[in-house]
Amino acid sequence: MKQTHLIIVLISIFALPVLAQNLTDSNVNGLPTGEEIAAHINSRDEGKAVSRKLKIEMRDRSGKIRQRETMSYRKYFAKEKRTVIFYLAPKNIKDTAFLTYDYNDPDLADDQWLYLPALRKVRRISASDRGDYFLGTDMTYEDIKLETRVSTADFNFQTIGTCNAKGKPGLKIEGIPKTQEIARELGYSKTQSCVDNEIWMVRTSQFWDIKDNLLKTVTINDIEKIQGIWTQKNIEVENHKTGHSTGLTFSEVDYRSSVADGIFNTNAMKRGL
Amino acid sequence: MDTAVNTHSHAWRFFWASTAYPRLSLYLSFCVILCFIYFIPTLEKDTRSDAFMPTDHPALLLSEKARETFGLGDPMIIAIINKGPNGVFNPHTLQLVDWITRQLENVSNLDPEEITSLSTENNIIGTAEGMAVEPFFESLPTTEDDAAAIKAAVMAFPLYVGTLVAEDGSGTVIIAEQIDSDKAQTTYQALLTLANSAELNSDESIHIAGEGALAGYFGTYIDADASRIVPFSALLIVALCFVAFGTPRGTLIPALVILATATSAIGLMAALGVSFYIITNALPVVLIGIAVADSIHILTEYYEAAAQQPASSPRKLAVTTMSRIWRPITLTSLTTIAGFFGLSIASIMPPMKYFGLFALFGVAIAWVYSIFVVPALLSLLKPQTSRAYGKRALGFRTNTPEQIPLGTLSASKTDREHSDSFAKAVSLLGRITLNHPRLFLLLGMFTIGAGIHGGLKIEMDESLIKAFQKDEPIIIANDVINETFDGSYFLDVMIETENSEDLFKPRNLQKIEALQSHMALHPLVKGSTSVVDYLKQMNRAMHADAPDAYRLPDSIELNAQYFLLYSITADPTDFHDIIDYDYRLANIRISLEKENYKTVASVIEYLNDYLQETFNDLHISAQPTGRANINYEWMQHLGEGHFVGLSVTLALVYIMAALSFRSVIAGLFCLAPIVTTVFGIYAYMGYVGVPLSVSSSMFAAIAIGLGVDFSIHTVERLQVLITRSNAVTDKTLMALFPSTGRALLFNFLTLASGFGILTFSKVVILQEFGTCVALSITMSFLASMILLPAMAKTFKPKFLSYDNHR
Repeated sequence: MKQTHLIIVLISIFALPVLAQNLTDSNVNGLPTGEEIAAHINSRDEGKAVSRKLKIEMRDRSGKIRQRETMSYRKYFAKEKRTVIFYLAPKNIKDTAFLTYDYNDPDLADDQWLYLPALRKVRRISASDRGDYFLGTDMTYEDIKLETRVSTADFNFQTIGTCNAKGKPGLKIEGIPKTQEIARELGYSKTQSCVDNEIWMVRTSQFWDIKDNLLKTVTINDIEKIQGIWTQKNIEVENHKTGHSTGLTFSEVDYRSSVADGIFNTNAMKRGL
Repeated sequence: MDTAVNTHSHAWRFFWASTAYPRLSLYLSFCVILCFIYFIPTLEKDTRSDAFMPTDHPALLLSEKARETFGLGDPMIIAIINKGPNGVFNPHTLQLVDWITRQLENVSNLDPEEITSLSTENNIIGTAEGMAVEPFFESLPTTEDDAAAIKAAVMAFPLYVGTLVAEDGSGTVIIAEQIDSDKAQTTYQALLTLANSAELNSDESIHIAGEGALAGYFGTYIDADASRIVPFSALLIVALCFVAFGTPRGTLIPALVILATATSAIGLMAALGVSFYIITNALPVVLIGIAVADSIHILTEYYEAAAQQPASSPRKLAVTTMSRIWRPITLTSLTTIAGFFGLSIASIMPPMKYFGLFALFGVAIAWVYSIFVVPALLSLLKPQTSRAYGKRALGFRTNTPEQIPLGTLSASKTDREHSDSFAKAVSLLGRITLNHPRLFLLLGMFTIGAGIHGGLKIEMDESLIKAFQKDEPIIIANDVINETFDGSYFLDVMIETENSEDLFKPRNLQKIEALQSHMALHPLVKGSTSVVDYLKQMNRAMHADAPDAYRLPDSIELNAQYFLLYSITADPTDFHDIIDYDYRLANIRISLEKENYKTVASVIEYLNDYLQETFNDLHISAQPTGRANINYEWMQHLGEGHFVGLSVTLALVYIMAALSFRSVIAGLFCLAPIVTTVFGIYAYMGYVGVPLSVSSSMFAAIAIGLGVDFSIHTVERLQVLITRSNAVTDKTLMALFPSTGRALLFNFLTLASGFGILTFSKVVILQEFGTCVALSITMSFLASMILLPAMAKTFKPKFLSYDNHR
């Protein structure tokens, strides 16, 4: 009699993980696929043009802080995205401006210019690598370029379960770079994101470096519907390797006022706001 | 023989009582030894040079702040050298640099964020339209052309020439900062393993050095050598006891006291959680010397008594021995304790402080074992005569001990005829001394004079490098790196301004630039780097690489904007090792030609003069920091500490000696041989050119601690001899030599050879230390044997009971 009990206990112990595994699989099976989720995210309306104030707060590992205030404009010209950032503060870099043309064609390198008011000169900047850090923040150029989107050209996405998206049930997807080369270029070997499937926006993301160490965590703290468009208002990025972190806060977001085409050229940079 | 038969004296009754339960005493003594041995495995070694500083010392705190702000500590430096025509600028070597850099990221104690090499650093270049920040090689170079392009790029970046790559291109370095510099030893080993696993061409070689490697390796290197050599010294000392007495008990009793003394001091350190420092290696040898001295004097007295009273019972013989010898043993223990107490209160360096305290404890234990355990043991052993004293026993038998006091008797003609060659040698010394007392006093004065003259020539210096043998890989690496690059030793200078972003102000940057230019004028400075060098490079890049644009921008805004420009593509933490995050603190790293104290002191003093006179003002200030400054600070204390320690020790020994003999003059007598010895050693150091370093500075305390024993035994015996004689003649004084003199000779021989064996160490520092101590012991033996009888004969002081005979 006792022996039978023991056998049942042993069987249960060994069978449990198997059962649990089946349970997860069946859970995932009922969920949209990674590709479907990515498609939902990328089909969201981002507005043709937007103007907004961006406050950047960067912190080093000892807790010292650098603050930047900028006014930024973004506009799509067909598939080409143009962005210009004017620095408002601190005083020493006020009126510095940064202009980028992102071409949709992956073979075309982006064009970038910087206006240094102290030299009264616009300088062309050699194209950044996609994995380079953007203006001293913990975001890479690729992160900035994607804004709220995900890159299906670079990653294969897979749904790996459900997650808690800021108190609401969400879907967890994992992205693996399609090739080693892409992984090296972007500096990521894996990403995992928790997607709010009511509004199809990523709520948190984690990134692993090419050595498979957790590199950084991105948290979207504040999402608000502005002029009919779901808009991120605060992004926190924490780099686990360097202890450096960045907070991006958007305000005065405006999708409706027209953004003049003329603001996206080097003469406008010199003129300033 | 009044003392021998005075069974009613307090001392006799005391030792009679104390030997009542000899087995119990022995049992307890072994328990005590076992107890202390039990703790020894928990002893922790601390061979860091930081251990020489109190943990709250400002220099350590400042250095810690610099480490937190800039991530700079004691770096490991890996140099890759290629003797081929293109130097390191060929695809294979550059790939090797990249491979090692990547491997270093996985070495556990290295900070992956703090690795600097050709494959991690960015180039700042001017383009037709602006400036670009790009890695020196984005993808690994595969052709000679790629390599040549990299060479051209690096050589055009003045900041990196001499620092990151050799001026002639023959080498490049990888600098890796450690997370915890206490783990330097294992990190260094990991790097050696990594270097060995690299695939090298015949022209290529890898060398590992740097302050991190050096500081980590130094302690363990000395420690390992000392652990090898100290047991030999103990064996030699015990073997000499056999030569002195020629009997098993004459050998094993000192061995027991040695064991008890050394294990108790080291065991107590372990039990109290005090670390075993580099200099603690000298402690066992010192304690062995002290323990054996007590035993030698007891056994000398024992065999003399045995020769006089061969029919005595074992216990009576032991008690007789002790009642005669307890006083000098107690006096020497007290003065030695006073000496080590002086060392411990005068020194601010924890290792020295503890050295004094535990040496003091060891001396006390040696005294307890000598006074209680040795007589207990002797009372259990059948009386025996020693070969060495057996002959002299014949002499005793010709005279009735009761009729003639021991002293005069030992010096009798009959006795001298039967003395062994050691006793004869000491007696000869005595005869010469007593024939020319004033000449020897003059010689003593002359030694002191030479000490003052030579002492003024002594320079303070310390060099970790010097500790190693010339063929050690770290020494070869050190030489290669210093020949090829701007040196592998750094002095960091922390610049501090009032408010954040003050370092954008041209005025402050110009001051830093001027400071760097001023430092470059010092002959021992090979170069320096700071944020100024990066700003100049950026300014030149923004002016299409025009050579005359290699200068500081002239506006606060432009400086700020250059940093923003740089950040467009660079890592947010790129500049954190030269400037802090809010642009208020900056670091200047100065490369030094050598790491020794003299170099560092000269550069730091030159720097401090400039800082005080020119640099520091209300808005900006600077101070030296880092390893070099820590070494400078504690070495400075070494000089002061040496003289304060010496004075305090001498004063305490004097007070103790004066109290013991209840005479001010007696105190001076005891001090005379020690003072002569100390000056003699100063003369030696000054004329031979031995610098005052950690190891050599210890000689004075040890010379006093051990040397005072010779004085006390001699003075005590002179007092006994003179008191007991009817008329003081040279014959009275001569009696000192074959008995006490012979014991002191063996005392001296055991100590001098125990320390002398350190000169066979492969560590130069231990050799110096051994030489200095062996020399001081020789001098204090000779000074006691010569100066004291000469002074007694010349000055006829009251405390020696000369008055009684007038």
